[in-house]
Amino acid sequence: MNVTLDKTFPMPGSASVAWKLLQDIESVAGCMPGAKITERLDANNYKGTVSVKFGPASMSFRGEIELKQVDESKRVLRLIGKGTDSTGSSGASMDLTAQIEAVDENSSNLVGHSEVSVNGKAAAFGGRMMSSVSDQVLKQFAANFAARVQTLNAQASPAGSGTGSEGNLQQPGAASVSISATAAVADPSAAPTHLSAFGLLWGVIKDWLKSLMGSKK
Amino acid sequence: MGNMNELKEREDKLQGMGTSMLRKEDARFIRGQGSYVDDIKMPGMLFGALVRSPYAHARIKKIDKTKALACPGVVAVLTAEDLKPVNLHWMPTVGGDVQAVLADQKVHFQLQEVAMVLASDRYAAADGAALVEVDYEELPVIVDPKKAMLPDAPVLREDIVDKKDLTHGPRTHPNHIFTWEAGNKEAADAAFNSADVVVREEILNPRVHPSPLETCGCVASFSKATGNLTVYVSTQVPHLFRTVLAMLSSIPESKIRVVGGDIGGGFGNKVPIYPGYVVATVASIVTGLPIKWVESRIENISTSSFARDYHGVGELAADKNGVIKGLRFSALADHGAFNSHVSATKFPAGLFSICTGSYAIPNAYCRVDAVFTNKAPGGVAYRCSLRVTEAIYLIERMIDVLAQKLGMDKAEIRRRNFVKKDQFPFTTPFGWTLDSGDYHTALDKVLEAVDYEGLRKEQAAKRADPNCPTLMGIGLSTFTEIVGAGPTKVCDILGIGLFDSCEIRVHPTGGVIARLGTMTQGQGHATTYSQIIATELGLPASDIVVEEGDTDKSPYGAGTWGSRSTPVSGAATAQAARKIKDKAKKIAAHLLEVSEGDLEWEIDRFKVKGNPSQFKTMKELCLVSHTGNLPAGMEQGLNAVSYYDPPNLTYPFGAYLCVVDIDKYTGETKVRRFYALDDCGTRINPMIIEGQIHGGLTEAYAVAMGQQVPFDESGNHLGNSLMDYFIPTAVETPVWETDHTVTPCPHHPIGAKGVAESPHVGGIPCFTNAVVDAFAHLGVTHMDMPHNAYRVWQTCNATGVNKR
Repeated sequence: MNVTLDKTFPMPGSASVAWKLLQDIESVAGCMPGAKITERLDANNYKGTVSVKFGPASMSFRGEIELKQVDESKRVLRLIGKGTDSTGSSGASMDLTAQIEAVDENSSNLVGHSEVSVNGKAAAFGGRMMSSVSDQVLKQFAANFAARVQTLNAQASPAGSGTGSEGNLQQPGAASVSISATAAVADPSAAPTHLSAFGLLWGVIKDWLKSLMGSKK
Repeated sequence: MGNMNELKEREDKLQGMGTSMLRKEDARFIRGQGSYVDDIKMPGMLFGALVRSPYAHARIKKIDKTKALACPGVVAVLTAEDLKPVNLHWMPTVGGDVQAVLADQKVHFQLQEVAMVLASDRYAAADGAALVEVDYEELPVIVDPKKAMLPDAPVLREDIVDKKDLTHGPRTHPNHIFTWEAGNKEAADAAFNSADVVVREEILNPRVHPSPLETCGCVASFSKATGNLTVYVSTQVPHLFRTVLAMLSSIPESKIRVVGGDIGGGFGNKVPIYPGYVVATVASIVTGLPIKWVESRIENISTSSFARDYHGVGELAADKNGVIKGLRFSALADHGAFNSHVSATKFPAGLFSICTGSYAIPNAYCRVDAVFTNKAPGGVAYRCSLRVTEAIYLIERMIDVLAQKLGMDKAEIRRRNFVKKDQFPFTTPFGWTLDSGDYHTALDKVLEAVDYEGLRKEQAAKRADPNCPTLMGIGLSTFTEIVGAGPTKVCDILGIGLFDSCEIRVHPTGGVIARLGTMTQGQGHATTYSQIIATELGLPASDIVVEEGDTDKSPYGAGTWGSRSTPVSGAATAQAARKIKDKAKKIAAHLLEVSEGDLEWEIDRFKVKGNPSQFKTMKELCLVSHTGNLPAGMEQGLNAVSYYDPPNLTYPFGAYLCVVDIDKYTGETKVRRFYALDDCGTRINPMIIEGQIHGGLTEAYAVAMGQQVPFDESGNHLGNSLMDYFIPTAVETPVWETDHTVTPCPHHPIGAKGVAESPHVGGIPCFTNAVVDAFAHLGVTHMDMPHNAYRVWQTCNATGVNKR
């Protein structure tokens, strides 16, 4: 079961702020509902978990994330995640390319292209819902990400220096620590520990209804 | 008249052949007192749960048992490494291949068996299985069999990459299993080259699963003290199962006992030996404890033997009058990851060459190419003899395609091509000798019963009316089945001929016990066999006990599949009974002091010709046979055992007609009428026959209208639970109208042919023919199954009938 997702989400912050956040893998994972980085293996490799609860079914994937490419000039990042659920009955992988596009001083776009592949029970049972579920997951992710960008942008703006952000870019390690620390405080609605089943279900049904209305001639 | 009444009374008392005696087995089933394998509880018994692969094709990098072994209740975790010392991590298959018992280095299909967790209860076993950590490296998959033999296709079976031949001829590609041909290609080609009209159609029999109510399972129990192995198992073939266990385990076959018990449906699913059985047996031998392993529904549908998956191409050549001159059928067979396809040694493509059906076709050729894919292995005959449904589906579809091409009536084209009554026995160009038949009478009887002319007129009127909201389709199927495998000169499995057996013991007071090598799974054997004996021996069927399935008790036989019980074991039963009757006659002659030639048989007794007051009833003879008052030199007792090697297979046939109404706007297909006439030769229990026909038609409806086991491009199952897989209930199932003719089998002792599979084989094309016929006036010649509303709607949409 393979799904390709192309999404663009507007971000309430400058491209440089959003790009900084994007490179902080642990923070990015924190924006993903149900996801958590459990271990950093080296500069580019992490271990993490994703828990998904959908009605009575819950799945906990454990796996590895590899940062494949970081292109500063284009603000493009590519990572590959692979995992198996804890019962060994499902597998999942994602090849994600994310890019930050500047719009103006205080706004930018997060452009994502991902190829998601699901195997086993998750495909057999979740397959038919996969597009709509992925949509909802990404929407929740984008909302969390946007909230953090907004907080960071607000913190960056009073200081008023465009050069500061460039300075930070040269010290990505330092920046990431401060970002994750502030984000955790600044975002009280920080990502839930697993996907909100009700919200997700409602979102899926709403989108399905919309598609029915839309297709009627 | 008093005499006539008395005769009838005596006859009725026997409840022999021809009476609708109530089924003996139902008394315990309707009380919930059947005993199935999962009902068995033994002291100290452990439960096995299988760890299965989420990937269709992957290399196993590591298996970590640590967490599973720490789980409360878990006793052991077995992997291929643990089976290696006893050389049972792979097992040979009936198809000439080997199959991984537990995945060795690689997994080849989704949900393949990787490890078995043994625990003190089923829940602990399941919890433990979820804690076995397996690291996989995904590999490219082959899902579409048409891509299996491409030059750059990934090699699936690295273990046999050097094998040039899997016992069925040379392999031309690492993913190629065999190519099998029959008939005369040159003659068929010549017929096509000179034909007035030629038709060709690609016709798929999709992958389906028999899904019996009870899934597969076993309890294996090895005693270290005696060295005896007992396996309780839901199997259709207890004796072959025992032989295979002896071959695999090297335990003497005399120390192995296989017990079938009650079986909740088989339909082919319970013929093979599955990896779970082998692991449970090995585990029991190692631990000395009983091990139970029972499949879940998902495991059953996903892994234990699918059916069909034949991608066929049918071609017919005919003259302008619709008389068929040549046939060329081929099929690409998707056998999954291992060739554990259940076939007799000489028939790798089963009985596919029965594909000339009921028709006298002079020139014919067929070919089957089997390939490996990343799907579950197996290939069983789902309520048919192997590959007969595929063959009959092709011919019954193609004759309709030909009729449409010629603009000819679909009943008329059948009449023109039928083998005629006086041509039997009729040998087909593939070498099968059809034993007996009367196809014209059967078809005419059906057409008259349903007012075929009237139906065609109604259809024409509906087609002419643009405001009619439905499409009406009339489907015909005039099939010939081939069952009762089979003559040992051509049919064997693992070198064992497909004869069958019956042992009858008559007790002093007239009670009888009969033991057979077959295995009932719902067919009512206990009733049917006792009725045969009742008629043959003149003892009441109610006092006759039939035992099957316990290899310690019953004589050797090849089990129940391919509608072989009545054609083979029914014959053995009659023969054994006749041996007893012959002996009884000698005793009667001795007692009445006449010669045997002076005696005649009457219902339940031998009487002296011309002196009806002089007689001995069978019941009296039973007692006398246990005394010393016997002819000189005769031993006591009335016992016999008979092994029957059928001289030919049997060829039941039928004529079916189906009327469907299809909603033009939703594609919903309603079966208005289904009329099934079956000829199974001599009828033993009409009620059981009718029940078998109802069941077979319902499973035909299931296959035609809804069943399929689909996969996505990564080899993921997309329909392995009953949420997706269609099992018709009383709500969906149409009303069946049944009818019959009787054309006895000339070579069978009682003239019976077997029946349970005819309605499945003949029913499936009948449904498809009806659905396609509804669209025939729009130029549609074929639609692949299943004909669910969505798929039929697509044809409505493509042909534009849903435009208001």
